[in-house]
Amino acid sequence: MKLEGKTAFVTGGRGGIGRAIVARFLAEGATVYAADLTPEGSLAAHDDDGSRFVQMNVADEPAVMAAMERVQAEAGKLDILVNAAGIEIEKTIEETTLDEWNRSFAVNCTGTFLTSKYALPLMRAAAKSGTSASIINFGSYDGFIADPGLAAYCATKGAVHALTRAMACDHGPEGIRVNAICPGYIDTPMLQSFFDGDGSGGGGQNIEQLQQAVRDVHPMRTYGTPQDIANLVNWLASDEARYASGQLWVLDGGLSAQVQQMRL
Amino acid sequence: MRLAGKRAFVTGGRQGIGRGIVEAFRSEGAAVTTCGRGDRPEGLEQSIIWYELDVTDPMAVQDLAIVTDGTDILVNNAGVQVEKTVADSTDADWDAVIGTNCRGVFNMCRAFIPLMPKGSSIINIGSISGNHADPSMALYNASKAFVHGLTRSIAVDHGPDIRCNAICPGWINTGMLEAGFDLAGDPDLARTDALRRHPMRRFGQPADIAAMAVWLASDEAGFASGQMFTVDGGMTAASPLNPGLF
Repeated sequence: MKLEGKTAFVTGGRGGIGRAIVARFLAEGATVYAADLTPEGSLAAHDDDGSRFVQMNVADEPAVMAAMERVQAEAGKLDILVNAAGIEIEKTIEETTLDEWNRSFAVNCTGTFLTSKYALPLMRAAAKSGTSASIINFGSYDGFIADPGLAAYCATKGAVHALTRAMACDHGPEGIRVNAICPGYIDTPMLQSFFDGDGSGGGGQNIEQLQQAVRDVHPMRTYGTPQDIANLVNWLASDEARYASGQLWVLDGGLSAQVQQMRL
Repeated sequence: MRLAGKRAFVTGGRQGIGRGIVEAFRSEGAAVTTCGRGDRPEGLEQSIIWYELDVTDPMAVQDLAIVTDGTDILVNNAGVQVEKTVADSTDADWDAVIGTNCRGVFNMCRAFIPLMPKGSSIINIGSISGNHADPSMALYNASKAFVHGLTRSIAVDHGPDIRCNAICPGWINTGMLEAGFDLAGDPDLARTDALRRHPMRRFGQPADIAAMAVWLASDEAGFASGQMFTVDGGMTAASPLNPGLF
């Protein structure tokens, strides 16, 4: 039980990757707050997973403040913050409306900013107890190399990467570590909607063929699972990672280790 | 015991980061073999197998690989550094640095990959110096960039069966770090300045790197391949242009 006695707050906690993180934190003995727009999140069904649910839009400042006030009142400190809430718009910049652009930044960047901003006083309280507190943001391998037709998404993730380094510099001396996880293709509702939709990832009649082609480009020949991501989140959240800070941790089955593949 | 039932081979296990990895692997339940140039070091736990091996010697590496009869985790940690610019480096410096840091890693991977079962993990010790140059460390910087490139190649070529990643340590408290400070005009000032460039306000310990090695060696890292994992207390996240230090 690596996280016994620790309190964690996970945004997007009822989404594909968020649920796996919440489940892992609970299994490791943490008290977990799972924040999302609805109790169901991006999945159809909701089982009571033992977490404390917080109904919250990460871009809504009063709602974020109220959530942290609740954590303060109930737990008095916060050891772990995971900013996993995120959306993607499958469009080039020409196709993207201003409203879609603003919404992407509101959730992916402003949400990370606001939640971290109001969590920091609680995390300082945790760091004072002797072990470092840990913020884990969600970047993406798309923040390094672009997937076509995901312009706003790529831009928001690049912003999260830079914000991660900035936060690590500013708050490291206070005992707060800040890292970002950069997933590649992970089997989540977001990925399925990417394949099923009529946007850049839309497979039309040949969704299975498209998915197989995408799997074949990976050196590991498969997508990742939400549990693969939760494994690394768990390590970064734990005291074992006490010297890990300011880094962008790519977890993509080797995808971005290679140059574009030539079709021979 | 996250590595129970696994067989690990760690090069350069005499001291420093290598010794830290050897001890962490053992405490996680792995059967550990390590090696170095010279006799078995003092204090090494009895259950850990020690071989005298020079990784620059391809025949010796090949012979040892056959003797070990299979490995699940290979850590290429053995490395040397020479603190010189290109202009100052001699042929002997080249042979020493490239021989151990590049050829040594190649020798080990070539000999061991055919003997590693599906699900195995190779962990190379790269460096933040492979991404950004440390001054007067030309051959060392270049040798670590080679390690990063070889890591990606192995991940891509042997992907379905073997994962391959590199750990890029920052400034870790070992003899190598102290040797670096001793080169400065004022070693104490250099040490203080270096600490202020670390957001975590300390240097790393071998155990910090060993913690990452254990994770990469374990099945929890089953989807991690082809990547460089930097553990440096936040140092390379900060710009080297730090007005606070002027």
